[in-house]
Amino acid sequence: MSTTDASGIPASASPGNKRQVTREQGIRRFKWTVLTPLILLMAFLLLPAFLLQGYFSFFAFSIFDAGDSSGFSSYFKASEWVGLDLWKDAFSDTKFFNAILRSLLFSAGTTVCCFVLGFGLALLMYRPFRGQGFYYVFFILPMLTVPIVIAYTGEMILYQNGPLNDILSRITGQRVMFQFLYAKEVALTTIMFLETWNWTPFSFIIMMAGLASLPKEPQEAAQILGASKLRIFWEVQVPLLRPVILLALILRFLEAMAEFPKTWGLLQGGPGSATETIPIYIFLNAWQYFDISYGAVLSYIVMFLMIFIIMGAIWLLRREKKNLDDMYQAPNQEG
Amino acid sequence: MAMTKSQRQLNFSIFRYLVLTFWLFIVAFPIFWMVGTSFKPDIEWFAWPPVYITENGTLQNYLVVWADASEYSESVHTQSLQRPWEALGNSTLISLISTTLAVLFGSVLAYGVSRYQILSEGRMFQLLMLRMVPPIVLIAPISIWYRALDLLDSVPGLVMLYFITTLPYAVWMSKSFIDEVPREMEQAAEILGASKWQTIWEVVLPLVRSGLVATFLFILILTWSEYLMALLLSKTNVVTLPIELSKYQGSTEGRVYGRQAALSVGITLPLILVGIIIRKHLVRGFSFGMVRR
Amino acid sequence: MSQIELKNLRKEFGSLVAVNNLNLTIEDGEFIVFVGPSGCGKTTTLRMIAGFEDPTSGDITIDGKVVNELEPRDRDLGMVFQSHALFPHKNVADNIAFGLRMKKVKQDEQARKVKEVSELVRITHLLGKMPGQCSGGESQRIALARTLVTEPSNFLLDEPLSSLDAKLRRELRAECDRLHDELQKTFIYVTHDQEEAMTLADRIVVMNQGKIVQMGSPLEIYGDPVSYFVADFFGNPAMNLVEGEFVSGDSGLQFKSPQFTIPLPSKYSQKQPGKGTLGIRPENVTIGATDAAASINREVELVEPLGKDTLLYFETGAERPFVAVIEGTQSVERHANVDVGFPDDAIFLFDETGARIR
Repeated sequence: MSTTDASGIPASASPGNKRQVTREQGIRRFKWTVLTPLILLMAFLLLPAFLLQGYFSFFAFSIFDAGDSSGFSSYFKASEWVGLDLWKDAFSDTKFFNAILRSLLFSAGTTVCCFVLGFGLALLMYRPFRGQGFYYVFFILPMLTVPIVIAYTGEMILYQNGPLNDILSRITGQRVMFQFLYAKEVALTTIMFLETWNWTPFSFIIMMAGLASLPKEPQEAAQILGASKLRIFWEVQVPLLRPVILLALILRFLEAMAEFPKTWGLLQGGPGSATETIPIYIFLNAWQYFDISYGAVLSYIVMFLMIFIIMGAIWLLRREKKNLDDMYQAPNQEG
Repeated sequence: MAMTKSQRQLNFSIFRYLVLTFWLFIVAFPIFWMVGTSFKPDIEWFAWPPVYITENGTLQNYLVVWADASEYSESVHTQSLQRPWEALGNSTLISLISTTLAVLFGSVLAYGVSRYQILSEGRMFQLLMLRMVPPIVLIAPISIWYRALDLLDSVPGLVMLYFITTLPYAVWMSKSFIDEVPREMEQAAEILGASKWQTIWEVVLPLVRSGLVATFLFILILTWSEYLMALLLSKTNVVTLPIELSKYQGSTEGRVYGRQAALSVGITLPLILVGIIIRKHLVRGFSFGMVRR
Repeated sequence: MSQIELKNLRKEFGSLVAVNNLNLTIEDGEFIVFVGPSGCGKTTTLRMIAGFEDPTSGDITIDGKVVNELEPRDRDLGMVFQSHALFPHKNVADNIAFGLRMKKVKQDEQARKVKEVSELVRITHLLGKMPGQCSGGESQRIALARTLVTEPSNFLLDEPLSSLDAKLRRELRAECDRLHDELQKTFIYVTHDQEEAMTLADRIVVMNQGKIVQMGSPLEIYGDPVSYFVADFFGNPAMNLVEGEFVSGDSGLQFKSPQFTIPLPSKYSQKQPGKGTLGIRPENVTIGATDAAASINREVELVEPLGKDTLLYFETGAERPFVAVIEGTQSVERHANVDVGFPDDAIFLFDETGARIR
C-alpha cells in the first residue's frame, strides 16, 4: 500500500474536483436554459400587466374616456391622476366587502361539502367490491364536464318547469314551482350545489389515492388491540391521511375562490347582488361598467388577500410535506 | 342482539350499494338531461310536465348547430349565427398547443427539480401561485397590454396564458411520477454504458410515459374548459367552444335548450372520453407527492 | 491486470465527513469486502469508485490511471445494486443485453453472449419473462448476469443480498464465490453482514465512521482483532465482552468485574492497571474440568441446544449474557453450577478507548 505521495500536491487541488465542476456547470446551464424562457415569459406577460394595473389604480381611466382612438397610448392620455381616491373608495365599498365575504363563504362551504362527500364516497369505495370500476367511472364524470356546460344544463334542470321541480312535485304531491335561480335567498346556495357537484370528484380522487396508499399493518394492529372501526378511523387513518386531506382542502378552496363560469353563466351576479362573488364583482366593474381603474384597485386588494391566503396554505403544505419526508426517510441512508 | 360478522358485512354491502346508487343518480342525472334534451324537438324543451325520455327523438338540434342545416328546423329557432366547427378547431388548436408546451416544459423542469434540485422546495410551492391567484385579478391589464401587442383575439395570446396558468400542475404532477423512478435505475443504465440522453430515452421516459400522458390529458381538460380568459381576450375572431356555447345565452331568440344541449354534448364528449381513458392515472397524478407508497 | 488504488480519499457531505482520508490498494482478482455498520462510509466509498459521487479530495486510480475525471461508463466497472435496479419495462433478455447494446455490439454477438452468461448464472429459463414476474433471488441473478455480460475488469456489489431471505442469501453467496473463482476478476463487495464478509472475502476492510479500522484476511480479523469494535463486530455468537478493571494482584495483573475476579495470563503482567474490557469468544470458553489458569464457578441460566452445538448462557453482570459454545448436546442441566474456564491464549483485553492490549 503506497500511502506516501511524493509529489506534494495539496489534497484540495486534486483533479478530482474538475469533473464535479464541469458537472455543476452543466446543471447550472441546464437550469438556466429551462428557467430563462419561463422568466422571460413572465417578465413579458405578467410584469407589464402588474405595472399597468398599478398605474391605473392611481390614474382614473375608463374605456369611455379613450374616445374613438383605441391605441395603446390613448389610454394614458385619457387617464387622470386621482391619487388614493379609488383606494379609499374601495375600502369603504360595502358591496366589495360583501363580495369578499360571499366568496369566502362560497369557497369554504363548497370545500367542506366536496370534501365530506368525496371522503365519504372514497371510504365506501376504496376496498375492492363488485362494480367498483363502474361507479368510479361515473363518479369522475362531473369533473370532466365543462363548467359552462354545467351552468346551462343546471339552468335547464332548475328552472320553474324543469325536472327538479317536477320530481319535487311528484314527491310532495303538489305543484312545486321553486325559484332555485331567481330567489335572492337561495341563488348562492344553488351555485354552491353546482360547484359541489362539479368538484366532488376532485376530493374523491385525492382521497381514494390517500386511502389506497395507507399501510395496512397499523390498522390491523389497532384492530387486534381492540380498537373499534370508528377509533381506527380517527386515531389511525385520519392522522396518516392528514397531508392528503390538507392538500384536498387547500387546492379546492383556492380553485373555488376563482370560480367564475358557472356563477356568471347562470346569474351574472344576480338576482340583485346575491351571487356577486369576488371574480364577478371585479368583472362587473372592469368589463360591464368599464371602470378599469376601480377594477384595478379591487384586483390589487384581492391579489394581496389571495397571496396572503396562499402563503398560509403553502406554509401548511410544506410543514406536512416535511413531516412526510421525515417519516419516510430511508432508514439506512449512508451519510 | 349481536350480529355475526357475515351479517354485518352484508348490511354494510347493502348500505354501500344504496348510497353509491343514490350518488350515481345525482351524478348521472344532469348528464342524462343534457343528452336527452339534445334529442328533443323544440316543443318539448319547456313542456310541463317535463319530458324525461322523448318519444319524438330527432337529430334536428345537432344538424342545426353543427351543420347549420336550417331546413331541418320547424320553428323560429332557425338562425344559426354560430360557427361551431371553427370554434372546435380553435379549441383543439389552442388547448393542444398550450398543453403540449406545458407538459413538455413542465416535465423537463420537473426532471431537473427531481434529480438536480434546480428549484428549491420553496420555489416549487411559489410556482403554485401562478395557478392559485385568480386570473380575474390580472385579466384587465393583460387585455390592455395585449391590445398594445396586437395579441387580442389571437391564438398565441391565449396559448401563452394557458401555458403559464397550467404549468404549475404540469410540473407538480410530472414530478410526482419522475420521483417514483429510482435513481439506481438510472445509475445502472449509466454504468452499463448509456449516455445521459440514452438513459432518459431508454429508461426514464418509458417508465414515466403513462404518467406524462395522464398529466397531458388532465391539463387538456383544464385548457379545453377554460372560460374567463377566452371570454375576455378573444371574443370575436378566435372563439373557443365554451364561448361559442355562451353565445346562446345572450341570443335574442330566447332560450334554445335543445340547440344548447346539442352543442354541450359536442363540447363534453371529447373530455369524457379522455377522462375515462386516464381515470386510473388520475389517482396517482393528483396526489402531488403527498401520498407515499 | 487491474489494480485499484484509493489515495487519501475523502468525502464530505456538508459538515459530515463520510469518508475520511482512505488509503487502500485493491489487487487484481481480489475479492475484497467492505464491512461496517450503516453510515460507516462503505457505500459512499463504493459509489466514489463507481463515479456516482465525486471525492471531496484524493484520487482513485485504476491501472495506475487517475479516473476521477472519468464518467462511470468509462471506468471498466460493473455494478450490482442493492435494489437490483432491473429495468421493469424490458424483459430479462433485453435487460441483460442492454449494456452490449450501449457498447454497440453486433446483434448476433449480443444474442450469443446473453445466452452464454445466462447459462453461467443459470437463468436461461427466465430470458423471456419480465422482471416483475421474477422472484427476489432470480432478480439478483439477472442483475448479476446484466453486469457480467459486459465483461468489466472490476465488479462492484452494493449489499446485493440484503433484500433476500436467509436461505437464498446463503445460496447466492455461494454463487458469488463460484463466479469469482471462475472469472478471476476483482470483486468489491459492500455489506453490513459480518458472516457474508467472513465467507466471501479474500480480504476484509472493516470500516467505522469513515475510516478503515482494520484490514486483513477473514481469519486475521477474527483471530486478531485490533479493537473492541472489530472484536464485537465479527463472530456469531458474538465475543463475550465483560467490562471491569485491571488491578494488580498477588500474582501479577488481575481482571476484576463487579461479579468475579480472575488472574490474567502472565504476558500481561507488565501492563498498567485501569479500566478496560475482557473478551473471550464463546467457542473458546471451557466448561467443566479445565486446565485453564482462570476459571469461575457459575450457574447455567439457559441451555440452548442447536443440534451440532449447544449454547450455555451465564449471568455475569454484563449487558449481554455470557455465552459458551460446547460441542454436541452434552448433558449440562439448567441451573447447574459449572466451572467456566478462560484459557490463556483465548483472552483478549481492551483498554478504555477500545484499543487492544497485547
